[in-house]
Amino acid sequence: MSKRTVTLILAVYLTIIWAAVIFRIDYFPLTWVPMYSVYEPRETISVKVWDKDKYRKGLKVTHRDGSTSYVSYKDLNIPQPNFRRLYYSRIFGTAPPKHKQGNTELGAINRWVRGLEKDEPRFAVDWEWRMFWTLNKTLRHEPSDAKFIIRMEADHQKRVYRKEDLLRQDVSQVQIDTRQALIEWRDEWLPRWEHGVL
Amino acid sequence: MAFSNILSRTWNQFFFTGFSGESLGLLRMYIGCGLLFFHTYQFATVLSLNPVGSMYYFIEPIWYFHLLGIQYHIPALSFAVYVVLMGATVTMMMGKWTRTSILVVILCIFYLKGVRDSFSGDVHHRYIIPMQMLFLFLLSKCGEAHSRDAGHGPFPPIQEWEASWPIKTMQLYVALFYFWSVIAKVRVGGWEWFSGEGRIQEVLIARSVRWGITDEGELVKNSLSFELAQRPDLIQIFSHLVLAFELGFPLILLIKSTKFRLLFIAGVTTFHISTFVLMDVNFLLIPFVYLIFFDLVPIHQWLKTRAWPLFRRRPSIAG
Repeated sequence: MSKRTVTLILAVYLTIIWAAVIFRIDYFPLTWVPMYSVYEPRETISVKVWDKDKYRKGLKVTHRDGSTSYVSYKDLNIPQPNFRRLYYSRIFGTAPPKHKQGNTELGAINRWVRGLEKDEPRFAVDWEWRMFWTLNKTLRHEPSDAKFIIRMEADHQKRVYRKEDLLRQDVSQVQIDTRQALIEWRDEWLPRWEHGVL
Repeated sequence: MAFSNILSRTWNQFFFTGFSGESLGLLRMYIGCGLLFFHTYQFATVLSLNPVGSMYYFIEPIWYFHLLGIQYHIPALSFAVYVVLMGATVTMMMGKWTRTSILVVILCIFYLKGVRDSFSGDVHHRYIIPMQMLFLFLLSKCGEAHSRDAGHGPFPPIQEWEASWPIKTMQLYVALFYFWSVIAKVRVGGWEWFSGEGRIQEVLIARSVRWGITDEGELVKNSLSFELAQRPDLIQIFSHLVLAFELGFPLILLIKSTKFRLLFIAGVTTFHISTFVLMDVNFLLIPFVYLIFFDLVPIHQWLKTRAWPLFRRRPSIAG
């Protein structure tokens, strides 16, 4: 390669990596480094509390034949941290941080580039449908099977602190909320079954 | 005209000077060595799975899995890819079939990272810098020095400009990576992100409380984070330090003194260790990439002549 070719490569490379930053492209290996960037000032800080025993037991599921069981990370053969995200977030309809980073303060240019309306989110995923698809497909249950999962349940505690109390170094004032998720299979999803999530 | 001359001179001065072919070859070797640990650390969770267990259907396939139609995980394949990845990293280190090895490493990382990040849709950014470096190694002549491939020569000696541009581009990318993170924070969270009662406090609390509280009211883990979270004045100082170091990272490109560079890098490394300990932000091993900010020839010489003989010295047999 000549010096001139290298200069050309560098110019193209720098243009691409800067374009990723300007246009908020976060597709590996390009990024605009959005990790931990989202911050919405609030009066309270709310934290999920992980219950090891509970998430190790798994998601409570009801099958088409009315029986119930638990689906754990071992049944799905996925790492525990990933299962934790299914248990504490996806079933509650909470998207991964990447989606929130992509949807927050997108700006006029980035909306226009992507053809998005004013309040239209860049990432919008129907997590309920995906949970049913992922669990049933992995466990090899088809919609007509008696063991097909038609309901999933999970719950967890949230500790809510008021910033005002924290500033006074008072951590005794904590509100404990219990959140429950219960999602049910809808037959209107049947046409999607063969396409999966692609 | 004068401006374009200055620009051209600055460009050439920055990208095309400063390193020898030997430096480039050594950098490939040492980065390869760091990658061996990095890969294992990054993909440990995937390797903890049952190789003959269920084939999981991804809830949110990463963009290139989506494009290629990859919907499910074949556990045994991940183990095989990991073995190939480690093998290719070793051959890359040794400089054997260098370009091919680098290409294989890149493809294996794409696959394993894709698997790891598609399980629940959380995409991690820890491989972004190493991937840029591998791409630049791939385009460079790094396999022609300190390598087995060099024995298949004779190759013309690597010119200074040929050795410098990949290393300087890596340096620039790393410096920009930190600089961009400030831009992202301000774009999305505003300057309030850096306040004492801002994002850092939020993360400190979240990461300490999430493991639960014992019956005695004690935190199960990370009590130091919780203590710190109640000191917004201290957080404010730390957040200003973060702002200063991320904004100022590109200045490292102008620092000529090795001692000052070392000091700067020690500061950044401390930052990553602290965020790991206090906030569970897992960029713990990323400092191995900072080797790019140093000429490794004298370091390698020192290791060879001073440090290595210490390991090889045999204990004397008492008579």
